[in-house]
Amino acid sequence: MMDPPPIIRLRNLRKEFNGTVAVANLDLDVADGEFICFLGPSGCGKTTTLRMIAGLETPTVGEIWLRDQRIDALPPQRRGVGFVFQNYALFWHMSVYDNLAFGLRVRGIAPAEVDARVREIAESLELSPILRQRAARLDLSAMQRVALGRTLVVRPQVLLLDEPLNNFRPGLREMMRGELKRMQLSLGRTMIYVTHDQEEAMTMGDRVLVMNAGRLEQVAAPREIYRRPATLFVAGFIGRPPMNFIETQYHVEDGRAFLGHGRLRWEIDTRRDAIEHQAPSGRVIVGIRPEDVWPAVLAVQEREPAELTPARVELVQPLARKKIVDVNARGVALKMVVPGAFPVRAGQTLDVVMDRRAFHLFDAQTGRAID
Amino acid sequence: MTRAIAPPAPSSAAVTARLPRRVYVAWAARLLTAGVIGAVFFLPVLWMLSISFKPPTEWLEYPPTLLPKEPLVGNYTFLFNPGNPEGAIAVMTGAAEPVIPAFVNSLIVAPIATLLSVSIGFLAAYAVSRFRVGGNFMPFFTLTTRMFPPVAFAVPLLLFYSAVIPRLIPGLRLYDTRVGLILMYVAFTVAFALWMTKGFIDAVPRHIEEAAILDGASRWRVLFTVTVPLVRGGLAATTLFVFILTWTEFLFALIFTQRFAITVPVQVSHYAGAIGRFYGPQAALGILASIPVVVTGYLIQRHLVTGFTFGLVRE
Amino acid sequence: MWLILIVPTLLVIYLSLVRWEPILGDWTRAPFIGLANYAHVLADPRVWETLGRTLIIVFFAVSLEFLLGLALAVFSLGRFPGKRLFTSIILYPMMLPWVVVGFTFYLLFLDKGPVNYILIRVLGPGGAQPWFKEPALAIGTIILADVWQWTPFMFLILYSGLGALPKEPVEAAMTLGAARWQIFRLITLPMLKPVIVIALVIRALECFKIFDLVFIMTAGGPGTSTESLSLFIYRTGFVYGQLSYAAALAVLLLIAISIVTRSAIRPLEYREEAR
Repeated sequence: MMDPPPIIRLRNLRKEFNGTVAVANLDLDVADGEFICFLGPSGCGKTTTLRMIAGLETPTVGEIWLRDQRIDALPPQRRGVGFVFQNYALFWHMSVYDNLAFGLRVRGIAPAEVDARVREIAESLELSPILRQRAARLDLSAMQRVALGRTLVVRPQVLLLDEPLNNFRPGLREMMRGELKRMQLSLGRTMIYVTHDQEEAMTMGDRVLVMNAGRLEQVAAPREIYRRPATLFVAGFIGRPPMNFIETQYHVEDGRAFLGHGRLRWEIDTRRDAIEHQAPSGRVIVGIRPEDVWPAVLAVQEREPAELTPARVELVQPLARKKIVDVNARGVALKMVVPGAFPVRAGQTLDVVMDRRAFHLFDAQTGRAID
Repeated sequence: MTRAIAPPAPSSAAVTARLPRRVYVAWAARLLTAGVIGAVFFLPVLWMLSISFKPPTEWLEYPPTLLPKEPLVGNYTFLFNPGNPEGAIAVMTGAAEPVIPAFVNSLIVAPIATLLSVSIGFLAAYAVSRFRVGGNFMPFFTLTTRMFPPVAFAVPLLLFYSAVIPRLIPGLRLYDTRVGLILMYVAFTVAFALWMTKGFIDAVPRHIEEAAILDGASRWRVLFTVTVPLVRGGLAATTLFVFILTWTEFLFALIFTQRFAITVPVQVSHYAGAIGRFYGPQAALGILASIPVVVTGYLIQRHLVTGFTFGLVRE
Repeated sequence: MWLILIVPTLLVIYLSLVRWEPILGDWTRAPFIGLANYAHVLADPRVWETLGRTLIIVFFAVSLEFLLGLALAVFSLGRFPGKRLFTSIILYPMMLPWVVVGFTFYLLFLDKGPVNYILIRVLGPGGAQPWFKEPALAIGTIILADVWQWTPFMFLILYSGLGALPKEPVEAAMTLGAARWQIFRLITLPMLKPVIVIALVIRALECFKIFDLVFIMTAGGPGTSTESLSLFIYRTGFVYGQLSYAAALAVLLLIAISIVTRSAIRPLEYREEAR
């Protein structure tokens, strides 16, 4: 069974601005028809990478391929790539119609065909009633649709979107996410979508590429990223409330291996070898998601007393169907999530259980996951 | 994974050169064009400089040469001390005054008028922009001062100055005084200052100021600590333009001064006589006259870059 | 301080409605003759001639200044070594007093001046022109002097305007496949329109009042063929003493200019925009 060739390939892509590295040695294959999200905090280089693919920035080093053609030396006009800007960048002095028609007209396409295609796209984006309006007077959602329509009408091979939903208030934002995803599925076009909102990336993307400080941290399907974060950064960035991290020291005692922090200690056996190989310094960071920390009384199976950790409740934050509880367990601050009905108040002490199998282990020095 | 088409092997790292050669060629082409344009622009100035260093015998010489055969600074010194022309320019005599008084006058009148004009204009523009004082009509009305050919105002103002004012306020003399000139320049340039700064103020969104007011700042504080820094570029540009206007103003200075308050442009015309005669010193004076403006422009330059759009360009 | 504006305006209007010349004595006792002055003005062919001439000067001078200024502004957007120096040279003419510019150009275009000299060397003996003796040529020199002096003004305004334009629509246009000149024509220039309008209006207003250059370079000559409106008013008022006539003309001009300026500025006035 042969996989189709990737539609976009980035090889060793690097961008420096005045000595600062914005994007460092990125390699990526994007599959045809894929919806891939570039995710990361501000300044991590995701937008810069997007702009390099579009041709709005020139790479310092590296190659960009579109199908079997190398495009990194081509100007944006000739790349066949569509770009939707964060602030839409509409042609404010023109009408909606003219905005949509722009890409077709500059190619010299006959007016009759221009009209047909513009109307078609306007119809599908529900822009038909406002075709004659000036772009400057639209509301946000309309602007975004015009920005989208403007690029779709020229039928680019790949669509690049730079945080297009940033300006939407939360309720509308979720709805638009659904719209965009639906549209992408029906059109079958490859989309590269930049965002700093991890929830957005995780719900929309076929794959998510997490970046930090110019470096690619991990690229994988959302489930994979959530279940098996490859680095400390990814682990801490994905998931809300964020993962708990405990710095531990690996040591062997009487032939048994332990990870210990202060008065806390866990015995480990299955991953001993991995730890010894991948964390030579012995410093291991243990990550556990708040969803995996349980009050003992709610634990599914019976637990031996040795596995229970007494903890003191510091803070309770009630949400709709759950509560986020900050506890202090033998000097370690942890967050855990409990069902909304569970009775708990600040100052209370209770026992918590942490399933060792839910531990994510990371080498403290490199930040990489230990597998 | 196997691939249907074998892709071209990606080449090794460090593929893209730092700056492609075509960028250098573009730079060189621009430089050349710039050189040509600059030279053409500079020619008249060059000619002025040339004459300013030539002795009288060479002023109207034909064929004209760029470099003086006997360069001298006499033209310049003559400006400061016309009573004793020396050497080759000894042929120039006559009722020419030393230029220093004129420079002094100009250096007093122009900066003060500029500062007053820009301040008033700016405050007025702020009032118009934020409080809609005078609606649409008032600012437009002020533009009329620029629309009128100054000559038309000349006579009435002359009458005003020499006849009306002394009657209203006995003892107050405005004719041929620096104060009189300043007042007039302010009156006629305030509109310009208003319109220019208004555009920049309009470009500053109100909510920034409103936020500061909510924090308890008074209107004045808001103005100075919030708005002014944002419109710095516009203020700088306006100041420069108004300064140019007041410094180079000729007509009113000609009419309203006689002995004491002569400004530099009028002085230049004295040297012209009946469009003739002292070309050398005139050229020298011209060069000298432009120096304060150039200096001001240079000082303001940093602020000028985002200067002149009057805030009308829409985001 | 509005006093300085209002009183003279009133005075001018007053003068235009009476009959007065300085030699007739006290101006407060001049006989009232209503709109007779205005009638004279409108009927005088010299007035229309001068108006037409001035408009020609304004049209050509401002157009050239605009085109050159725009070309320079676009040119200056790129980077090249020595750009600072180049810009300073370009800006310099604006900083000279009109009289100096006038007088320099006068010298340049003398029959035995450098311009003719160069022309002779390039085109042969017939190349030299009697610049100040032919009306068309004389007007040409005036226009040239004005263009030299005020192109920097246009350049500065347009340059800053261009620099302040948002970048993103241009980038969007690029990704949509538009070539550079297409972007310039369809995106950049239209967005620059408000700046262009104000620049043109201000410069045209100033140019319309052109006085110093004409006074110094040609004194209106040969004959009266280069007389601009301001010069005409000056002559009639100050030299011939017909102040009332001059006043009437001035008032008419004011009305005409107001109307024209108003319609040009109208699109830029305050409107509440629904956003």
